[in-house]
Amino acid sequence: MRQRLQLITGAILLMAGTIGTAPPAQAADVPGVTDTEITIGSFGPLAGPGYLYGRLAMNGVQAVFDTVNAAGGVNGRKLTLVREDDRCEPAGAIAAVRKLIFDDKVFAIDGGGCSNAAAAVRADVEQAGVPWIVFAAVHDALTVPTAPNIFSPALTATIESKAQVVFAQQQGAKRIAVISMRDSWGRSRYDPLMAALKTAGITPVADEEMSPDANDATAQVLHLKAANPDAVIVILYPKPAAVFLRDAAKFAFKPMTIGQSGIGDPAAFEEQVGVPGATANFNTIAMVKVTPDDPAVAHWRDAVTKLYPNDRLSTFNMFGIGSAEVLVEALRRSGRDLTREKFIAEMNHLTKFETDVYGGPITCTPTDHRCNKSPVWLKKDPGGAIHVVAITTVD
Amino acid sequence: MLAYLVLAGLTNSAIYALVGIGIVLIFKATGTINFAQGDVLMVAGYVAYMLHVALHLSYPVAVLGALAAGFAIGMLSERLAFRPLKSADTISLVLATVGLSFILKGFGRLIWGGLGDYLSFPSLVTDTPIMMGDIIIIPQQLVVIGGATLVIACFAVFFKFTPLGRMMQATADNRRAALLVGIRVDRVHLMAFAVGGALAGAAAVLMAPITLLYPDIGFPLFIKGFAAAVFGGLNSLPGTLLGAVAIGLIESLAGGYLGSGFLDVSAFLVIMAVLLVRPRGLLGSAALRRA
Amino acid sequence: MKRLHLPGPASCGAAVLVLFAVLPLVANPYFLFIGNQLCIYVILSVGLNLLVGYAGQLAFAQAALFGIGAYAAGLAQVRLGLPLIVAIPGGLVVATVIGLAMALPALRLSGHYLALATLAFAQFTNWVFQHWDSVTFGGGGFRVPPPPRPAFLSAGLQSYYIAFVCAALVTLAASRLVCSRIGRAMIAVRDGEVAAESLGVHLLGTKSIAFGLSAACAGIAGGLQTLMLGFVSPESFDLTQMVLQQAMIVVGGLGSIAGSVIGAAVLMGLQEGLRAFQSAQEIAFGGLLLGVVVLAPGGIAGFMARRAAGWREQYLWGRKPPLPANPAP
Repeated sequence: MRQRLQLITGAILLMAGTIGTAPPAQAADVPGVTDTEITIGSFGPLAGPGYLYGRLAMNGVQAVFDTVNAAGGVNGRKLTLVREDDRCEPAGAIAAVRKLIFDDKVFAIDGGGCSNAAAAVRADVEQAGVPWIVFAAVHDALTVPTAPNIFSPALTATIESKAQVVFAQQQGAKRIAVISMRDSWGRSRYDPLMAALKTAGITPVADEEMSPDANDATAQVLHLKAANPDAVIVILYPKPAAVFLRDAAKFAFKPMTIGQSGIGDPAAFEEQVGVPGATANFNTIAMVKVTPDDPAVAHWRDAVTKLYPNDRLSTFNMFGIGSAEVLVEALRRSGRDLTREKFIAEMNHLTKFETDVYGGPITCTPTDHRCNKSPVWLKKDPGGAIHVVAITTVD
Repeated sequence: MLAYLVLAGLTNSAIYALVGIGIVLIFKATGTINFAQGDVLMVAGYVAYMLHVALHLSYPVAVLGALAAGFAIGMLSERLAFRPLKSADTISLVLATVGLSFILKGFGRLIWGGLGDYLSFPSLVTDTPIMMGDIIIIPQQLVVIGGATLVIACFAVFFKFTPLGRMMQATADNRRAALLVGIRVDRVHLMAFAVGGALAGAAAVLMAPITLLYPDIGFPLFIKGFAAAVFGGLNSLPGTLLGAVAIGLIESLAGGYLGSGFLDVSAFLVIMAVLLVRPRGLLGSAALRRA
Repeated sequence: MKRLHLPGPASCGAAVLVLFAVLPLVANPYFLFIGNQLCIYVILSVGLNLLVGYAGQLAFAQAALFGIGAYAAGLAQVRLGLPLIVAIPGGLVVATVIGLAMALPALRLSGHYLALATLAFAQFTNWVFQHWDSVTFGGGGFRVPPPPRPAFLSAGLQSYYIAFVCAALVTLAASRLVCSRIGRAMIAVRDGEVAAESLGVHLLGTKSIAFGLSAACAGIAGGLQTLMLGFVSPESFDLTQMVLQQAMIVVGGLGSIAGSVIGAAVLMGLQEGLRAFQSAQEIAFGGLLLGVVVLAPGGIAGFMARRAAGWREQYLWGRKPPLPANPAP
């Protein structure tokens, strides 16, 4: 009994002490900005299968920051990146973003890799007024309706899905089929695709599903072949897409196949499919206009391999590089007297800004924060070079 | 259509069987389910990749490398996650191997994850599809099915005719009696994990051309392999094979005839139904009720 | 062996209760969120321990039932327009009914077969979440608008206190339960089914109660999770979540309510505390899990029972006496 009383008294004293020493109200300084440093936060999966859209993209951001810091920083301040893991799911993302905003106290966020996770934190970020540049998540809920402080230089799901339909029509396809993943990543693209098809008055002749870990697509190929499409729209990660194309080749099923930025590297993809010639008719959207082996990004290849010797430059790194270039430009234009309001104002007026990697110039307006509307279509000749087939612009 | 679906299903069955045998081997000798079996496969696969694709060593060298890596990790697993926990309850043993699974996955991702999203591993023979009568197949499919059959046959022989195999059987049947007869039980356990690991290495090389290599390949494979093993009756090698064939065929046929949305879930539905009727799996022996 | 002089689980629990009742008033939104999540994990952990640690049933369906509770509560609000006060109990009821329905076939299964059957159920449930678009909104999940609240309470605080009160009540009820006849019946089933039956314990009834109770805990936790996040989606309830919950009870101590609470806190702490490890988090998490299981068999509660003078644990899952590693020379 006495022990119990002692313990409770101790707990109350501890509480009193905590309350008594609670930090005073936030000073009027800009969070995340000191005389010498700007702290930028990033959230996304650092572990688990989504790490491509989290850690690798963040590696790209870090490469840009290092390059900028080596050249003296932005208006005399060095850039520091703080990474938080969101476990690719809503609860993890809310924890990560709140930690960045309230604990790490970052100036702005350059991140967001998983669809549902990023969509789930929109309310938090919007409420806190922290500027957020989305680097990989394509979920439409991030940009529609427009939030004053959230910008996406990444192509959005609607833009890509519309572009897929426009491309199919431009290439003369009348019978269109779809094969997709139905998890959160897949759904974020599948729903706008169905909407875009409906608007164009097209009913898909077949609608198949594949799981991200599938090792066989025989059933799907047989169903699709029976429907005789001119084009198949592919909303799959590279692995199931590779399995699909490989099995399609087995059955001499060779329609035009239309990919998206999840399969951003046609050369790597050709290798993954394995069967020679199977990707001859495969066209895909690149969020970035160059492939990793392009001489134009040789300096980024060096920067990434210097920082991360085990890594090879990949499209995922480039998502980060592009978003970071946009971030740094807006920081630069905001001048030495940096505030979040100024930064957001500069982002709102970013017009035709050319980055090293994005397909088209980046333009944001106060009413439309989908800053990248130029999906670049790439196609690789089997065993040969990669061409830009088209650049569709979606309104 | 049926023929194509069956062949596709059998290829998957071979993949699941390769994982399932490793699980059953370790279970028969030690009574533990190794939740890290898939991740051992992943690491061994990456070792083969580094040897063959990155360092341009010959294919047989890469295979040996994968076997050796699997063997070594298996031994390490036994030392770290099994030996200290000999007398613990099932769930603790499960979690120890789960911890190991995370460790292996983390290392795999850190060391090789930045090389690319999915790495392709060259096939044993050509990649071009070939015609076999009416059916078109990719040669590696035959390699996987053939390889799995060979491995299973080897293990059947191993358990029946070699001293180590018989010792493993004895230890699994009755540990106390095995000790009494002079079998070094802890040695048997170590070898079981090690051979199970080597088996994962062989499996990796056989299936990597089809499944591609990525850090997260392990757990989904483990689930299917575990399902195949338990479904067939956990203490039976032919049972595992039967379970793997069943799961592969069910998935393929359901995907083909019911719709691709059902592919992933059909096996689990059937498993639930069968366990209702046969609580010890398809070929499992009747339970000893321990008071 | 040096024994620390610590009060027993009940006294520590009382102190922690008081602490957690007042701390949120000064916490920033990040810590408030973590505290809220912890309360939910405590409920899950206590429920799972009743089934696995006390009744000895190796079941892997808790994460799926958590999801069923979350979806039921969320859909009740979004599709049926029901208020929170009906939705959360609704989630509880749906999860319990499904949990009980699962218990019936599970009664014939044990060990790895039960594990597989419940795992299959979990995969099936996830598939339903992803594909039953007309009801569950499919893989993209859905938002749940915040419920009305009194003006003086922020949304975060409201969500926290509801979860806190539920967690406290569940923990207290469970502590009472395990000392009652039902609790002892569950432990008897765990330690030996044949012996238990011979003593007059009704196997079917006891196992059903265990499944039902753990499902009920999962159901409440699901409703609270929906309230906290304002968003429901399938990936929150997959096998990764299941592994996390199993880790909580093993690290805390199988067969200990205090252990369940401690385990939830430790795993929560690990999840957040390991952030510093960045990309090496998986390795650190795996290492810590392995370490705790190997070095502290019986979990933290078992450790406390051995080392702390006042800490009593009655129903920890005991270990079998070890066999010698090698034959005697």
